[in-house]
Amino acid sequence: MLTEPLCQTRRDFLHRSWNGIGALGLSGILADDLLGKTIGQPKTNPLEPQKQHFPRKAKHCIFLFMQGGVSQMDSFENKPRLRELHGKQIPGTPGVSGELQGRLSFAHSCVGSPFKFAQHGESGRWMSELFPDLATQADKLAFIHGIKTDNQNHGPSTYHVTTGSQFPGSPSVGSWIQYGLGTENQSMPGYVVIQDPRGAPCNGAAVWANGYLPAAYQGTLLRDQGSPILNLNRPHSLTEAEQRQEFDVIKSLNELHLAKRSNISELEARISAYELAFRMQTAAPEIVDISDEPSHIRELYGLDNEKTAGFGRQCLLARRLVERGVRYSLLVHGVQIGSHSWDDHGNVKGGMIKHSGEVDKPIAGLLKDLSQRGLLEETLIVWASEMGRTPFVNSSKLGNNPGREHNSYALCMWMAGGNVKAGSTAGSTDEYSLRSAGNGEPIHVRDVHSTILNLMGMHDTDLTYQHAGRIRKLTDIGGKVLNELIA
Amino acid sequence: MRKWRTTNQLIPKATLIFLGVLSPLLGFADKSTEEKKRWPFFKPENISVPKVKDADKITNEIDSFIIQKLESKDLTLSPQASKQTLIRRLYFDLIGLPPTPEQIEFFINDQDPNAYSTLVDDLLKDPRYGERWARFWLDLARYADTAGYEGDPDMPYAWRYRDYVIDSLNRDKRYDLFIKEQLAGDEFTEIMGAGEIPIASAEKIVAMTFLRLAPFTEPRGDETRHELLSEMTSTTSSVFLGLTVGCAKCHDHKYDQIPTKDFYRMKAFFNTVQIMPPERGDGFQIGGPLPADFYRKGEKEWANKRRQEFESIQGELNKLTSEFKTRMTNNVNPDKGKVELDGWVNNRNNDKITEAERDRYNELKKKVPHTKQHLKRLRPMAMSLRHSFGPPYEPGVPTSRVMIRGEYDNPGEVVEAGFLSCITGDQEPAKIRLDPFKRWPTRSRRMALAKWIASAENPLTARVMMNRLWGRHFGRGIVATPSDFGKLSGGPSHQDLLDWLAIRFVKENWSLKKMHRLMVNSSTYKQDSKRIDPNALAKDPNNSLLSRFNRRRLEAEAIRDSVLFTSGRLNPDMFGLPIFPPLPGDIADRVKYDNSKWATDPGKEGRKRSIYIYQQRTLSMPFLQTFDALVCEDTIPRRQSSVTPLQALAMYNGNFANEESEYFAKRIVKEAGNDPTKRIKRAFYIALSRQPSEEEIKELLPYAANEEKLVGLSRILYNTTEFTYVD
Repeated sequence: MLTEPLCQTRRDFLHRSWNGIGALGLSGILADDLLGKTIGQPKTNPLEPQKQHFPRKAKHCIFLFMQGGVSQMDSFENKPRLRELHGKQIPGTPGVSGELQGRLSFAHSCVGSPFKFAQHGESGRWMSELFPDLATQADKLAFIHGIKTDNQNHGPSTYHVTTGSQFPGSPSVGSWIQYGLGTENQSMPGYVVIQDPRGAPCNGAAVWANGYLPAAYQGTLLRDQGSPILNLNRPHSLTEAEQRQEFDVIKSLNELHLAKRSNISELEARISAYELAFRMQTAAPEIVDISDEPSHIRELYGLDNEKTAGFGRQCLLARRLVERGVRYSLLVHGVQIGSHSWDDHGNVKGGMIKHSGEVDKPIAGLLKDLSQRGLLEETLIVWASEMGRTPFVNSSKLGNNPGREHNSYALCMWMAGGNVKAGSTAGSTDEYSLRSAGNGEPIHVRDVHSTILNLMGMHDTDLTYQHAGRIRKLTDIGGKVLNELIA
Repeated sequence: MRKWRTTNQLIPKATLIFLGVLSPLLGFADKSTEEKKRWPFFKPENISVPKVKDADKITNEIDSFIIQKLESKDLTLSPQASKQTLIRRLYFDLIGLPPTPEQIEFFINDQDPNAYSTLVDDLLKDPRYGERWARFWLDLARYADTAGYEGDPDMPYAWRYRDYVIDSLNRDKRYDLFIKEQLAGDEFTEIMGAGEIPIASAEKIVAMTFLRLAPFTEPRGDETRHELLSEMTSTTSSVFLGLTVGCAKCHDHKYDQIPTKDFYRMKAFFNTVQIMPPERGDGFQIGGPLPADFYRKGEKEWANKRRQEFESIQGELNKLTSEFKTRMTNNVNPDKGKVELDGWVNNRNNDKITEAERDRYNELKKKVPHTKQHLKRLRPMAMSLRHSFGPPYEPGVPTSRVMIRGEYDNPGEVVEAGFLSCITGDQEPAKIRLDPFKRWPTRSRRMALAKWIASAENPLTARVMMNRLWGRHFGRGIVATPSDFGKLSGGPSHQDLLDWLAIRFVKENWSLKKMHRLMVNSSTYKQDSKRIDPNALAKDPNNSLLSRFNRRRLEAEAIRDSVLFTSGRLNPDMFGLPIFPPLPGDIADRVKYDNSKWATDPGKEGRKRSIYIYQQRTLSMPFLQTFDALVCEDTIPRRQSSVTPLQALAMYNGNFANEESEYFAKRIVKEAGNDPTKRIKRAFYIALSRQPSEEEIKELLPYAANEEKLVGLSRILYNTTEFTYVD
């Protein structure tokens, strides 16, 4: 028997012991917290909700990642000059230094966008005809143009946009946000990943890895079929009652074990982790069970259409995650290689019609749905890819179906929700959509990350973790918040 | 005289007497600059073992240092743990597996006062020691079997480095030699004649895989070379010197005395590195291998056997294919046009082949891409590198420069290869000794660095390694950040002890096993961890003074291995090809790129120890990942030890734990017969290395009635805290 009753009720016990996690159990976290500069007190429960550094409306973040490198001049950047130059070379070499060589061969012919552009909403936002549904939501969006990434290959640039560093091993944006803010619903993972049902993105699971942060901050992959989280189903042949019985025996053995030992916070934490696991078994499947969604909602996300059903379901699940207090959802559209990637080296026209057709309605549906439920206010939505594309053709000849090369100088992203100033714009690109316009330093990925953290109520410079002799942060040397995007 | 005997063996004896004069030339500061430097940048010397009051608690010198500090706070060592606790602790610590009931019985009944130290010696001789401790080195070496990034290409020869590490540890290879092999294995042979061509032994070629284990994506010329050599520089420094020079790539180190110039001076040692171009079919993503014969005893025969096995799969498929083709052409109406073989075979109406033939064909077809990859892995090759042969054959020694802000195309000041000034006290160029005929000016650069690191005169190398060993045995390093001895480390908790250990390590000819022995034989190590004196808890809550042993959770690999060991299904085969244990759910299909990658080994092969599991950078095996093991992207100095509900789900609901529970249940029946109490006792002994209490027996009796119930018992035991936490 226990030498002293731990708590009066089971609930008290659970509460107390879950909060006890980390006092010793996550000694890694504790040690690092003591050594490094972190906000507030060392955390007990690594996922316990934390205060924002300053007030911001957003409690949740949905990150929509389009794998492959979306063509900005065929989607959200209207470049009439490029249409004029179709089939010709860019005159001169605009502001080119050595760094703009390699893949970017200016000897190649320009490709004007084959798509019609129009202005939408009160903000007069230019969008191509590929996004008719998103166009109805134009006034909710804030755009960033001409973002610079550190590398123009898929692997490194995907790392860069999703983890802040082009090299593997750093925590993903979602891990940092978890680390900074914890999560509200302790029966669910706080950071959920829904990948394209057709396969994995570039770099695979490293895109949602915790890097050097503790494992508690890794993204959990939500599977679209069967058990939504790994190992959620009871061992076959066991009824719920039988399982409960076994859990009780485990608990009682663990309490006997704990009673004979001192310094027990870690052991307590383990006991309550089993209780949480038990609850998660019912909480998690409920999220993916969309049978209770009415038909107009299914229609809104495009679930009734084969083309949009895949990403539509991902978006609908994201809304359900927000409703259940999940802090961060990463949705990936596209797989790393092949026709399901936005990597349109050949036939950019056909590719863009296909990819945009798969996401336009679902994304617009998500914006509308969150908005009508009053959830958009408390949700930051970020739409991104790992790089932009070149104004000129991929190969030496223009051909009938030209494609576009990678361009790490002109990534385009947009944000919505929370404190995002709807209809605003940061940055711009030159008349060819080749690179950032103007003389100032281009907007860098770290500036975008800094802005994301700001919109979640955190200073990037205060969200730090000591690792391998350095005080690390998402933005490495610190980013510049894009204040023009913030209301 | 005493000092000289422990000095670097590589220095010719004749020069020893001039050592005091020569020391600056060897790259180590002389006494006068020495005194200005703070710990740990001077060489440890003359550490006397302290006198303590509680002398009867001392087993060896380690205890004197520990007790002295404790006594200064009016504390003392905890009582010794029970033999039962000690044997479990020792087994997990040294070989990563629990003791068997028979081994426990024997040890507990062994009245010999040396029973404990005999057990230590036996375990250090056990080849499973290497399998356990190599994992710790592989974490440091950022070992993986794939390159990461886009497509995550396979690195087919990386596994040979894993085996090299296991073998080196088991043979207790001198640590200074271990360092030199990994940094400069190609520069060992002295070249004395004009016509000699540089060669290296297979083992040393394999060792240098160390330098090539960083993640790698498609080459982009100078930029990629800059990144690769920079990575080699910072990893070498973190792993061997415990200094994070990586930040100095872009700016002077903010906390430690590492100017940017020093980073590029150190990088200059690597600037004649030559990586072979990729082989045909390897794509443009990975450099090529170098020939390196199988060198361990019996390895060649093993490789031949495996090769035949895979070739016979290929052969059988070829035979079946040509046989089917004959039948097909004899039976297909040519007017119908070309019929594809696979379609013909899988047409259910096809009566020209039997069901068994069809199944076999499809099975083989599925296996072949994986088999082909295994055949590639079995070529006598290593993912190694060598120095350039220099002009006129290959590039000569390039001018090394500081790269401003770390940018590859932003060259600054010219630098010469040289050692870190925080240690040497100056930024003089290193002396690089070329062959007498200077035929190979590109040679001996890395060896110069390796010798400087692996020198008894280097103030950091031995300290850093002893701190790593200490951290693994005691749960926390004397310096809490094992790859960072700089200012951010918080300094050592027991500076004299670490210095003494470093001196002793060198004196013991850099033998790791001797140092393990010393540490685990100490009274400090044998302390109890369960009950803590409240006074000690108040005065030293983090136990940095070690007034008790630190209870620890097993690492992911040890957890998986223990489950298999207790179920009786661990495949004890050592070394060899990477293994592919079953993955839960559809994970393998979800996160893989082609069929040559993760092809599950459902049988015995997939049940080897976890160190042999394929390390795919884009796919950490979920079970291991849950328990804080990640496939390395960069050097990992220590693991986290988290507590999460996902661990409970994996251990309770997961396929792996449940499958092994069934075998564990069978084993219990076989070994304990029909008596329920005996069954519970046996199960406890196997899984937790002890007898159950009356209360525990009572609790578990409902689960001992039959084999089906015993599956529940097994599952329960796997999920106890005690199974994964070692006292």
